[in-house]
Amino acid sequence: MSEPDEAPVIITINGQAVEARKGAMLVDAAKAVGVEIPVFCYEPRLGKPIGACRMCLVEVEGMRGLQTACSTPVARDMVVNTTSDQVKDAQNGVLELLLANHPLDCPVCDKGGECPLQDRTFQFGPGETRILEPKNHFPKPLDLSPLVALDRERCIACFRCVRFSEDVAEDGQLTFHERGDSTEIATFSGEPYEGRFTGNTIDLCPVGALTSNPYRFVSRPWDIKNAPSICAGCSVGCNLEITERDGEIKRVTGRPDPNMAVEEGWICDRGRWAFPALTAGDRLVMPEIVDQVGRRHVRIERAVGDAGAILRRSGIRVAFLLGTPVTVEDGFLALELSHLLDDAPVARLGVSDDGLGPLRALPGAQMHDMDGADVIVMVGGDPSSQQPVTELRLRKARRNGARVAMVGPRPTALDGNTAEALRTVPGRLGDAMDVVAERLLGSSRAIVLWDECDLAAEPVAADALARLVASTPGARAIELAADVSGPGLRALGIPATGVLEQIEAGEVDVLITVKADPTTGPGGTRWAAALNQVPTVIALSTHRSPIVDLAAIAIPVLYGLEEAGTLVSMAGRAQRLRPGAIGPEGAAAAWEVLVGLSHRMGQPLPDRTAAQAFDRMAKRFPAFSGLTCTDLGLLGAPIAAGTGGPAAPARRAEGEGLALVVSTPVFGDATAHRSDALDCVREETHLGLCPAEADRLGVSGSTHVRVTTPFASVLLPLVEDHRLHEAGAYLVLGDPASMAATLLPADRGPVCAVISAPVAQEVGA
Amino acid sequence: MPQLNSVYRHREFQDLLTLSGYERAGGWNGLKATLEMSPDDALYAFQRSGLRGRGGAGFPMGRKASFLPKDSGRPTYVVCNADESEPGTFKDREILDKNPFQLIEGVAIASYGVGCERAYIYVRGEYGHQAEVLRRAITECREAGRLGPDAFGPGAPFDIALYRGAGAYICGEETALLESLEGKRGQPRLKPPFPAVAGLYGCPTLINNVETLAALPPIMHRGADWYAAIGPEKSPGTKIFSVSGHVLKPGNYEIVMGETTLRELIFDLAGGLRDGREFKACWPGGSSVPVLTAEHLDTPLDYESLAGAGTFLGSGGCIVMDDSGCIVRASWRLAHFYRHESCGKCTPCREGTGWLEKILGRIVHGDGRLEDLAMLESLFGRISGRTLCALADGAVAPVQSALELFRDDFVQVIEQGGSPVPEPMGVINV
Amino acid sequence: MTAHEISEFLAPIRHEFPDQRSLILPALRFAQEEQGWLPPEAMAAVAEATGYSQAYVESVASFYDRLYTEPVGRRVISVCTTLSCMLRGSDELLAHVAANIGTNGEGTSADGMFTLQRAECLGACDRAPCLQVDSDDQQGPLTHDDADAIIGALRADGAPTRYDR
Ligand SMILES: Cc1cc2nc3c(=O)[nH]c(=O)nc-3n(C[C@H](O)[C@H](O)[C@H](O)COP(=O)(O)O)c2cc1C
Ligand code: SF4
Ligand code: FES
Repeated sequence: MSEPDEAPVIITINGQAVEARKGAMLVDAAKAVGVEIPVFCYEPRLGKPIGACRMCLVEVEGMRGLQTACSTPVARDMVVNTTSDQVKDAQNGVLELLLANHPLDCPVCDKGGECPLQDRTFQFGPGETRILEPKNHFPKPLDLSPLVALDRERCIACFRCVRFSEDVAEDGQLTFHERGDSTEIATFSGEPYEGRFTGNTIDLCPVGALTSNPYRFVSRPWDIKNAPSICAGCSVGCNLEITERDGEIKRVTGRPDPNMAVEEGWICDRGRWAFPALTAGDRLVMPEIVDQVGRRHVRIERAVGDAGAILRRSGIRVAFLLGTPVTVEDGFLALELSHLLDDAPVARLGVSDDGLGPLRALPGAQMHDMDGADVIVMVGGDPSSQQPVTELRLRKARRNGARVAMVGPRPTALDGNTAEALRTVPGRLGDAMDVVAERLLGSSRAIVLWDECDLAAEPVAADALARLVASTPGARAIELAADVSGPGLRALGIPATGVLEQIEAGEVDVLITVKADPTTGPGGTRWAAALNQVPTVIALSTHRSPIVDLAAIAIPVLYGLEEAGTLVSMAGRAQRLRPGAIGPEGAAAAWEVLVGLSHRMGQPLPDRTAAQAFDRMAKRFPAFSGLTCTDLGLLGAPIAAGTGGPAAPARRAEGEGLALVVSTPVFGDATAHRSDALDCVREETHLGLCPAEADRLGVSGSTHVRVTTPFASVLLPLVEDHRLHEAGAYLVLGDPASMAATLLPADRGPVCAVISAPVAQEVGA
Repeated sequence: MPQLNSVYRHREFQDLLTLSGYERAGGWNGLKATLEMSPDDALYAFQRSGLRGRGGAGFPMGRKASFLPKDSGRPTYVVCNADESEPGTFKDREILDKNPFQLIEGVAIASYGVGCERAYIYVRGEYGHQAEVLRRAITECREAGRLGPDAFGPGAPFDIALYRGAGAYICGEETALLESLEGKRGQPRLKPPFPAVAGLYGCPTLINNVETLAALPPIMHRGADWYAAIGPEKSPGTKIFSVSGHVLKPGNYEIVMGETTLRELIFDLAGGLRDGREFKACWPGGSSVPVLTAEHLDTPLDYESLAGAGTFLGSGGCIVMDDSGCIVRASWRLAHFYRHESCGKCTPCREGTGWLEKILGRIVHGDGRLEDLAMLESLFGRISGRTLCALADGAVAPVQSALELFRDDFVQVIEQGGSPVPEPMGVINV
Repeated sequence: MTAHEISEFLAPIRHEFPDQRSLILPALRFAQEEQGWLPPEAMAAVAEATGYSQAYVESVASFYDRLYTEPVGRRVISVCTTLSCMLRGSDELLAHVAANIGTNGEGTSADGMFTLQRAECLGACDRAPCLQVDSDDQQGPLTHDDADAIIGALRADGAPTRYDR
């Protein structure tokens, strides 16, 4: 839907002259001046109004009968009455009729207390029921999926969920069946409603028809507190709302007041249902130290004290390694601490910046800029699986008329009806630059989405792409960043390289890791060997992992949804996390631990809150200059664009065999694996091959294959898929325990893999 | 009591089921005359004829055609509404069955006027037999070049696609019909935009009823002025009334508008009632219109006169009930119809029609209370006039008018403890 | 019914519709011709042949009375019970037909030969009380004997090779 952009006009609402934008819908115009007109079906994020529920009827002078305020555009000199007797009767009437077949089971309904139908009934309803007739009954409540429950008797047929499925997610799975008062929500033949965005239907439902299965009977609205925060699942940076009860996160939803520049209120199911990972069995809840007695639990003061004591020793050589989800404040305080420690090296686990400078210097765009794009080209990547909500924006852009092309080696969920799919030979994105140029030709509002990993692997292509975009008038770029912390840490100048090499050179006595475990990731084998040479590892970690077992001191820290801090999204938007829960008793925010260390070292840093740390940081780093924590507010703000960097020479893939095409689906990562709720949609580690290639390699039909690179050799499940290019082996990373990521070099550079049939007993086991 | 078979020309001529028979009877003269005019002149002729839509609303056909933008840069469509599902209405069925070529010719004429190269005829799903007759007629026209690449002259193509519905009254509502024709659930659209501006596939679209379009060939052949001069000024032409219910000769009657009264239609043309029976009520324009009593029998049959009597001409489906029938039971049966046929999009209709049916059912079955009547009265206004399409209004009108005009009957049924099942009229051979 | 067969059926009419979504209803009707109803596999085949989701296809199918998403008998008998027909004895006709085929009101006969349903106005009020077998021409006015004769003839004919409902 196009935004009303015309000049304001004067209209009269309930006797008062007010200014409104011509073409805006009456409901919105009224709302802007504080007049509430009740609605159910109206939801502009779903597209044009449909005028179905009839809740919003108002009187407009000169128009016959009542008009639906949701679909009547403002016009000059309109005179509107939203409180006349006739309007009241209409509101009473619609509510009375909505309740005619409603089970009125609010006391046992999960929506009770936060239900628009209930609220509207109190505000605008008749107050008493005149209905003697028996209600229509539907078959009992059922699970639409393990995540979404449906009670059809509560449904008011507002079309919101089915429009979401058809017009936003475009998954075509959730539809109305039957008609009239038999209308019901259903999937095909009762199959589960599966997808990446299904939970949004729960947020959209204005009654208790669609509810969250994991939240079933968990709490009542008066027992809970809600906090607006940011998802730390991927680099999109969706805004969300956290529901807490008794200090624990019980629910995550889209924000009732969405961030229209980012996610528009749509979040993916990973973001919505990953939070149980925070209370998973392997959560690190108490600090551990290793001393003469052995490994034992201590209180956090003791652990930080011990660590501080180590750092105080003179001549000690320290290094920092940052993982995810690490906030900008964490990164800043690591830098601050490093200054106190002879400028100890600080590195992040992630993709090296080499050669990406030219792309990062391009004019950037925010997610919502895609809405008005005429052309969108994705180069590399697979946003549907790695930055999921991006998919919804791309679909919307297509609906708005943009031509969307996906240039890269992977098949994606967008291929076909949304994006023109231009498959490239794995490892040869560069060959497709002509095609990209062709797609950009003549466009004036193009947006190019480029994948950090894929383009880092091909610096020559990155440089070519940067030049193409720079020479296309009006074109802007968005980086599909590989991880949630990269953009923020990069803005602080923290590199992705250095620490490993220093360890290997025997120059590190103490390694402090912050939410980073390199042993299961790229270069894992090399890291593991290197870590053996580090006398002392101090691990700040949310969960148990190999590095925790290796650490002399392990300190539990808070996870994104539990802490305050700032994340920078892939579109360069700084947004604030707000704690939605208190986290384990023995844990603290990573930045707090770092400040604590400075105190124990006798050189206290001044920061008492994440906000103070942010403000101090913003003064020092040009990317954040002019921003304060307060400025970020609820919706965040874009930071300054990168200044770029030199192009880099071509890289050769290491190893032999097939080029490895790597995907890191957020539905498959460690957090997703820790959340039981996501059992039904989790993506598992596997190797994909096109059937012809599998045949050629003699592994066709086998359940597993052995994958060998110069860095590791791992047994992986095999999935044959005819959509895959035969010149590549498609590695999908899931559970870190599979060690599949160790097949990659430590800098995540290009690599080839030899695929072979497993020996018999390997598979049996 | 002038009858004039202008649309029902099969009642005057033999063999209208073959193209040659149709042409022998003067078929295609209307299109020929039209093709000699410019499309604008054809449009003007439609307007001058005063022909009003025969599907229910009675909107002037020519005016509607003139609303289609000419410079939209998109194709223009003509859609013929052959969904005929209004209770008591079966006039289009006879056109499809017996005079399909006249409909095809009419569709072609309208299409020429609005610049349409492909028209659609949407036939209700239940009309399987009728669709087959029409399909054969279309095929014959194609084979004879009457439809196809040169239908409107060399290089001037025109063709018709037949589309079958699948059982849903609501698909007679024009925007629901368009949705259905687009392969969707037949649920009405929000208006504006009206189909004339954004109709089928979002393109300018003229939708007309079968009878409306089938009226065009004689109009174009004999001249718009000829037609305009028949009947009253505001309701010119002929109209087919389908008469059913408690009459001895149910059937279709094409009459000159305004020159026949309801009484003549029922008692003269449709054979009147059984001996010993008194007229009780009739729904003159399909079941979606307010009911009339014996007092109204002398109303002339035209749009204005029927409106004056507090009802509508509607589709011309005149359902007659004699004094053996019970108005409460009849109202309940109609309420059932609308509940079953509501598409479910608007709250007042989806929930309200069901509520009406339940209350009336309760009264019919002896569980009525006198307060129910006040409740019904308050419900009417909460359903009617508050929805996207007119189905809800149609559901309320017959019940509301019945309660107004026959309140005593309602009270009596409640007090008696229900409405006994009457002896049905059964099969009577006249 | 396979997606391929449906596609072949659609091929000659594809050009009639600028938006291929319009093919869903004809495809569903065609798919129903084989078994007289639309089992999930038939709807899935329509989905494949038209490129729309299975749920969408079922959603469309279930909107319409004459598309059956549950099994029905070899002949579907619709007795119109709307007002004009009611006034002329449709309820009694319905009950009579039910007694004849052994259903208690609407439903499918034990031998699977007939499904009886009450229908809304069939556009044949001049033939009231009337019934319709599948989508054949509406028959009426019918005495109960007439109805018995129709049913008897249908029994003798057995099942049609294609179903048009
Ligand atoms: C619920 C409903 C059902 C309708 N059914 C029919 C119908 O079966 N046939 C028809 O021609 N018009 C029907 N109409 C009227 C159409 O919406 C539309 O006005 C008509 O097709 C226009 O053609 P006309 O101008 O030639 O009458 C119906 C309207 C409503 C609200
Ligand atoms: S009035 Fe009834 S039939 Fe018409 S659109 Fe609304 S719900 Fe559907
Ligand atoms: S909000 Fe306007 S009709 Fe539903």
